[in-house]
Amino acid sequence: MEQILSGILEQAIAAGAAILLAAMGELMAERTGVLNLGVEGIMAMGAVSAIIAETFIPNPYFALLIAILIGLAMGVIYATTVVSCKANQTLSGLGMLFLGTGLARWIGAGYSGMPARAPFATIRIPILADIPLVGEALFNHTILVYIAYLVLPPLVTFMIYRTRHGMNMRAVGENPAAADACGVSVNRIRFMYTCVGSAFAAVGGCYLTMSFTPAWSDFTVVGQGWIAIALVIFASWRPWRVVGGALLFGGVTSLAFVAQVLAWKVPSEFLNMLPYLATLALMIIPLLKMLRSQRKLTTAPAALGLPYERS
Amino acid sequence: MKRSDRTTAGKRSFRLMRRAETKPLYEVICRIVSVLLALLVAGVVIKLIGMSPILMLQKALKSTLGSSYGFEQALVLATPLILCGLSVAVGLRMNIWNIGAEGQLFMGAWAATWVGLFVPGPTALILPLMFIAGALAGALWILIPALARAFLNVNEIITTLLLNFVAILFVNYFAIGPWRDSGVGILLATKRVPAELPTFGNSYVHYGILIAAAIALVLAFAIQRTKWGYEIRIIGRNRRAGRFAGMPVNRNILLVMLISGAIAGVAGMSELAGNVHRLSGTISNQYGYQGIIVAALSSGSPLVVLPVGFLLAILLNAGIVLQAQGISVNTMLAINGVILLFAAVGWVASQYRLVVTRDQPGDEMEEGGEGISMDEEGEGGSGRE
Repeated sequence: MEQILSGILEQAIAAGAAILLAAMGELMAERTGVLNLGVEGIMAMGAVSAIIAETFIPNPYFALLIAILIGLAMGVIYATTVVSCKANQTLSGLGMLFLGTGLARWIGAGYSGMPARAPFATIRIPILADIPLVGEALFNHTILVYIAYLVLPPLVTFMIYRTRHGMNMRAVGENPAAADACGVSVNRIRFMYTCVGSAFAAVGGCYLTMSFTPAWSDFTVVGQGWIAIALVIFASWRPWRVVGGALLFGGVTSLAFVAQVLAWKVPSEFLNMLPYLATLALMIIPLLKMLRSQRKLTTAPAALGLPYERS
Repeated sequence: MKRSDRTTAGKRSFRLMRRAETKPLYEVICRIVSVLLALLVAGVVIKLIGMSPILMLQKALKSTLGSSYGFEQALVLATPLILCGLSVAVGLRMNIWNIGAEGQLFMGAWAATWVGLFVPGPTALILPLMFIAGALAGALWILIPALARAFLNVNEIITTLLLNFVAILFVNYFAIGPWRDSGVGILLATKRVPAELPTFGNSYVHYGILIAAAIALVLAFAIQRTKWGYEIRIIGRNRRAGRFAGMPVNRNILLVMLISGAIAGVAGMSELAGNVHRLSGTISNQYGYQGIIVAALSSGSPLVVLPVGFLLAILLNAGIVLQAQGISVNTMLAINGVILLFAAVGWVASQYRLVVTRDQPGDEMEEGGEGISMDEEGEGGSGRE
């Protein structure tokens, strides 16, 4: 039993990390008012570029670097479209989704099923990992997991809420005209964070192929990007809530693992549906409660999805 | 002529002005140009990785429009594309994005298979039953996102999309599990459904294309000529205005989404009964997703969906035919993504015009955005004037 609990926790953390990385990037982009529906496609591109890079130089950090560069490139395409050209974000986001998914599956066809030769090694944190019951589950992960859970959330929180730059970011997302009047370059900040968000999504993809799975197939990225977008909404655009949400999704995903261990008689297809159904439930149920209490809790950045133009 | 004007007026002496009203013609030109540009980009990429785009184009054209078989194949592929395009288009009229057509298609096919396999009766009776079952399953599959959108304002893009994954897993379970045909040579699919849509003569083209055309006509009539259609159009343009005018906004959102789901479900039924005949996890060439592109390029107009669907079917067929050359359905998906990006930029571009305030006063040219969109509009503009 102990082992099972520890296993659930470990799986939950590992499975949640990819979503967390992508969601944190999306959160920053959305805070500046840019909605990127292409996260899923960008994750796929990050995942596939990492595994291809790794066949040239079998080093996970090189793969990560390439994934980040590809993510930035995808971000530049998207930002040019929606920030510079002020195109419709829904349409362009779906364009990025198709471009990323299609391209990744096309160029990744020859690498399908091949395990990563040099995935990220797990780092066992000496004393902490010896804590009974949870130590092994919490402190025996790859570097990207630690970055996702321990480094990013405080960093992003601090930046968004405690620095002038973060304040500008939020201003751009809430009231771009006012930010513009104060001398903040609205489109520069939006362009930058669209690219940053896209790079984070690619890192999430890289984590899947270089650490979590670790291999590429057409089904490596199945919905994690969309769950990440939903998670940002569920977390009302707050970094620490995203962490909680990612753990929750990781936990739901790990149910498939539990079922395997306990030899439940539930078909795997139904277990694999759970993360999507859970996401759906989490998008709807909090609002149902709100309906009853008559409270209004939409904390979305006011200018989310709206291109900015000086008038 | 215009082009040379622009090159001489290269000292940034032009201004962008937003048009008071966008003429539909400019939008059409922008759509066409965006498709051509996307194909051009794809051609350059194919050239860069060392293949010959010209040869591919020749082969694709020959195998699609050059032979009667290819033409039939394109029509067969066009059927689900048009149906999914209609499904998304009807939502677009109200600014509702049904990204879940893929899942609804799968569920429609599932329900049709269920009727086809387990309900005994003559084909003439079973086919309409399969149709109804497909439509109902598609509508049911979008019910929760629709209710959430109408009454809780939950983003329908994410909710409808998430259910795609669920639907494919669901169908996979039945195709590999309880309904699996254990016959030799059948890979992970159900038994053949006996009731089949009739075909035209000896061709492969089945009556599904008629269903698609009929639905397009009915939708076009309903949207343009009825009171309900008027409400839909008003709410689509301005939701608040609709509400103030006393139109039942929430009910119409719900209704439109259910119709959208039902049409995608019919696409699944038509695919199953007309084309694949066995349910499996691979019945769809991402028709649901491509339907989004069909609808977006048609601006949500049902009658325009018909030619656009056929056009994308030719593209898709090219992807399937060129498989030996290393092209795949996924390549086509990527190209579709580029088309969407260009179309999105082109749509913005069509709202602007360029006023050149140099040499010749009163010389106007359409222009928009930056970089890519300039070229696009340059071509669009010269084609127009």
